Amino acid sequence: MRKKVNVLLYNTGAVAVGLLISACLLLFMDVNPAEVCAQTLSKIVTDKYNLGEVLVKATPLIFTSLAFAFTYKANLFNIGAQGQFLMGSIVAVSLSLALQDTVPTALLLLLVLVGSFAAGAAVGGLIGAAKAKFSANEFLVSMMSTYVVTNFMDYLLRTSLQETKAEYMQTDAISAGAYLPNILPGTRVHLGFLLAVAAAVLVWVLLSKTSLGFQIRAVGRNPFSAELGGIRASRIYIIAFLISGGLAGLAGLTEINGVQHMLLRDFNASIGSYGIGIAILANGNPIGCIFASILFGFLNIMGTTMGRLPGLSIPASIIELIEGIVMICVIISYALRGYMENRSEKQRMRKAGV
Amino acid sequence: MGTPAVELQHVTKCFAKVVANRDVSLTVNTGEVVALLGENGAGKSTIMKILYGLYGMDEGTILINGQPVQIKSPADAMSRGIAMIQQHFSLVPTHTAAENIILGNVHGYIPIKKYEAKLRQIAQDYGFDVPMDRPVGQLAVGQQQKIEILKALYINTSILIMDEPTAVLTPQESDSLMRFIKSFTAKGNSVVFITHKMKEVMEVADRIVVMRSGAVVAEVRRDETDEHALAHMMIGQDIVPPVRAAAAEEEAGQEVLRFDHVSLREKGGTELLRDVSFTIRAGEIFGIAGVSGNGQDDICDVISGVKQPTEGALYFCGEEISRVSIRQRNAAGIGYVPVDRYRDAMVMDMDLAENILLKGCFDKKWVSRGFIRRRELNRYTDEIIAKHRVKATGWSDLAGGLSGGNQQKLVLGREVDVGKRLLVFNQPTRGLDMGAVDRIHHVILEEKEKKKAVLLVSTELTEIFEMCDRIAVMHSGRFMGIYRSGELTTAQIGLLMAGVSGEKEAAQ
Amino acid sequence: MLNLLTRAIMMSTPLLLGALAEVYAERTGMMICAIEGIFLIGAWGGFVGAYLSGSLALGLLAAVAAGIAMALVYAFVTVTLRQQQVVTGTALNILAVGVCAFFQRVLFGVPTTPLQIDTLPKLPVPLLSRIPLLGEIFFQQNILTYLAYILIPISIFVLYKTSLGLTIRSTGENPVAVDVAGINVNRVRFLTVLAAGGFGGLAGSFYTVGYLGMFTTSIIGGRGWIAFAICFLGNWSPKGAVLGTLAFGLADAISVYFRTGTTVFPTELIIALPYILTIVLTIFRSNFQVPAKLGVPYSKEN
Repeated sequence: MRKKVNVLLYNTGAVAVGLLISACLLLFMDVNPAEVCAQTLSKIVTDKYNLGEVLVKATPLIFTSLAFAFTYKANLFNIGAQGQFLMGSIVAVSLSLALQDTVPTALLLLLVLVGSFAAGAAVGGLIGAAKAKFSANEFLVSMMSTYVVTNFMDYLLRTSLQETKAEYMQTDAISAGAYLPNILPGTRVHLGFLLAVAAAVLVWVLLSKTSLGFQIRAVGRNPFSAELGGIRASRIYIIAFLISGGLAGLAGLTEINGVQHMLLRDFNASIGSYGIGIAILANGNPIGCIFASILFGFLNIMGTTMGRLPGLSIPASIIELIEGIVMICVIISYALRGYMENRSEKQRMRKAGV
Repeated sequence: MGTPAVELQHVTKCFAKVVANRDVSLTVNTGEVVALLGENGAGKSTIMKILYGLYGMDEGTILINGQPVQIKSPADAMSRGIAMIQQHFSLVPTHTAAENIILGNVHGYIPIKKYEAKLRQIAQDYGFDVPMDRPVGQLAVGQQQKIEILKALYINTSILIMDEPTAVLTPQESDSLMRFIKSFTAKGNSVVFITHKMKEVMEVADRIVVMRSGAVVAEVRRDETDEHALAHMMIGQDIVPPVRAAAAEEEAGQEVLRFDHVSLREKGGTELLRDVSFTIRAGEIFGIAGVSGNGQDDICDVISGVKQPTEGALYFCGEEISRVSIRQRNAAGIGYVPVDRYRDAMVMDMDLAENILLKGCFDKKWVSRGFIRRRELNRYTDEIIAKHRVKATGWSDLAGGLSGGNQQKLVLGREVDVGKRLLVFNQPTRGLDMGAVDRIHHVILEEKEKKKAVLLVSTELTEIFEMCDRIAVMHSGRFMGIYRSGELTTAQIGLLMAGVSGEKEAAQ
Repeated sequence: MLNLLTRAIMMSTPLLLGALAEVYAERTGMMICAIEGIFLIGAWGGFVGAYLSGSLALGLLAAVAAGIAMALVYAFVTVTLRQQQVVTGTALNILAVGVCAFFQRVLFGVPTTPLQIDTLPKLPVPLLSRIPLLGEIFFQQNILTYLAYILIPISIFVLYKTSLGLTIRSTGENPVAVDVAGINVNRVRFLTVLAAGGFGGLAGSFYTVGYLGMFTTSIIGGRGWIAFAICFLGNWSPKGAVLGTLAFGLADAISVYFRTGTTVFPTELIIALPYILTIVLTIFRSNFQVPAKLGVPYSKEN
């Protein structure tokens, strides 16, 4: 128990240090960091809409971070969450455009949920199968798969999915009958957020309380012992990637039907890699992913709000800067925590008069 | 003899949980062979690793030729003429012998052919026959050891430390090593020889230092002592071998395990098992003796299901199981205690209950409707901990936090329940202290009493002789013969282990 | 056709530099998962250096420095602190985007027209460039390409015939053997990662200083990862890296060529060609000789 509290303390400290360093970088822009931060914070905290935006941004991040964390438990690296998300988005928008206004909203959303999960799972499953059958390096395959899916999406946006106006590379907007309902009036927060939280809880239950979850963790920690227990690693690889891909695919539902209401190029281009960072921050813990995603959502809104402060021209890229610095600080804090825990263990031995 | 070559004075070293060396002092004179004798965990390796610069000491002094020195790294040690050959060789398997020997001792451009010729000459001078241009990973263990020795000779070592050098050698290869040690020390060099085998000590040592629980308990000259006295000093008590049922003709039990002309070939063509046939019956302990790496692990792999025979068939209680899945074999009642528990038997980061679950995650007893029945599992784990006297606070301890002996006891406890008909033990007492070894032997005999079939693979001949009803000797993937216990002398087994076939007819 | 082949060689250059860097690093056991970020920061450093100083040479130097700087952080976290390589690499790749975009804004504000620099000129090699066909393809390239030519034999020689190469190869296979031989394992790894960072930065600068003459944060587009993949698929040898690079350079050139023209294949498929090729090769190439301790941090008292 003490260990978990320790982890939380160190991670929080690391985030704080990271934010501090980022704030100092603002000095390069000839602004007063303290003032800017105070202004930004007040703008966010006092405005209900902005607070809601934090949750809106966090929603897809919960899914992509769950996706990475899930395969990470099996000691696999799914770098393709971005591509799996886009595939889910393609199915989400296609189904929505096809069924909207002919199918009741609840049923449509259910179908889109199943469809986007399946789409992401299909991509993930292919990667898992490559790993299982050919021992392919899933890191590389999943990495490359994102580029392939992105180009596939661009192709569709130019041809069969393109809007009827045929002016831009984007789809038609879906009608209100396919929207995810709003759950917090005055904001854009939609049902997808609750779905994401529910998904995280389900993943946590799966991993810690079920036999399948145990098998996944056993394969991740020690595939040899797992094999002698009758657990076949190749089967676990495929299952882990199916679920992981499906989770990423669900972000397609939330972003298409909950936020953007259409599919366009460069759609949420970074949620895949942010998901990796968030999963790291949360140490692979599904519940931790919820909070870390909200944190990243908050950083994201901080960045855009800063960018909108009148007079200063703080670029949007400050988001990546902050997030990158925070992640490095967290990684370094892991090392620090390991070192301190080791040292205190040695001290305890010495005090015991040994 | 003048100033001792090496003097260690009042050395103390602690690790996170353990005092490895407690006020250890010892000397090594020039031209002398010192044997460092003791049980596993006595602290012999640690003190030598301190001398070799791999560990730092918490307290103490090191003197080389009477001068106090600081040894902070193997490089320091080697610059003073000290070299250590460890149990696990530090060779790069994909590189040749020449490349391994010159690593760290060359600069700039490497004319490899010149080095190979030079090293061949040095090898010949010592009577070693080792190919210089083949990848070291392809060579026999005895040859790899010679390459390690050549590494030390190449840098003009005068104090050679060897850590359990004969653990992986046949009796004949050990003899060859002893001859080398004698000729090496005759030239005025010193050797420190870490071992737990009495026979070698009496054969080649000039002086013997006995260690126990991190401290030096005795120091004698070889001509002042004998094996019994040494054993007493080493263990501190008399060993009580487990009581075996009288060797009267027992009822031949049912056939439990049968290998029928099993051969196993690797993808690259290497033959791991050649035409192995044998039967184990209920209530019988069948032993496989031999230097490790001659196919014993592969036999275990075939039985457990990790590998499938390329030729021949495997029968369990009369049914062929050659290609049956591991999961089904576990369910059928085959228990397996593998040689490497860190790699194959446990997950160190999980708690003890989850480690028990490793063999039970498909069993309705522990999983219902996909969910783990945690309460029942935890209770069962606590039962095993109590029954097998595992030193742990309870099911929630992390496996990695237990000592080696207790980990092995937990694995044992799990497997004797899983193995309802057949139990396979691969070197179950390797590296454990006397108490744990004793306990494991008792459990194995108990299981034999329950009429289970037991397969015991071991490199310790005393263990084989004490425990087994029948003994097979393995060499190069083949059974050199199967004998009743008592039919063979150690010398005969030694020859068989080295691949020299005996004249006696094998008793099937 | 000639144009295509010439282009192919040109596009291979950064891939080769990156792949060779990755080969050396991975032979010591370190996967440089920050390679994409190193390429990017090299591209940016090269651009800024060239723009501010007016000299392309200084730009290239700045690129090398930028690459080394990022590699320094990576090496500190993964070698000295022994943290997970994939995770650290991902963090740095994200950070690289932030640093480049943010400081681009700090330095240049929001320009009305995109900033431009001159690109590296083509330097025909006297005599050799006159050879029919081959001369035009191989010997009318820019200086980075010629550098790559020289690096190929040098890297093979160093890796297989010198003590440095022996040490590097041994470190990735069995660091304990290296430690016992008296060599500081982590120092070998640290310095190799730094050197690889320098070459990676240089490789990245090819896209700004050598080719496009301007900078955007999406200029690398995954090519750092392709260099990473080439090391893998080329079996961790410089010779394999050369073969892999030629294949991908060709694919890259084809995709650029077809993007501008008209063709029966959808342009997106052409663009995706190098990535699809990587996937196919990763799946079907077996029999690797992975450095045994790739990705495993080294600590003495295990």
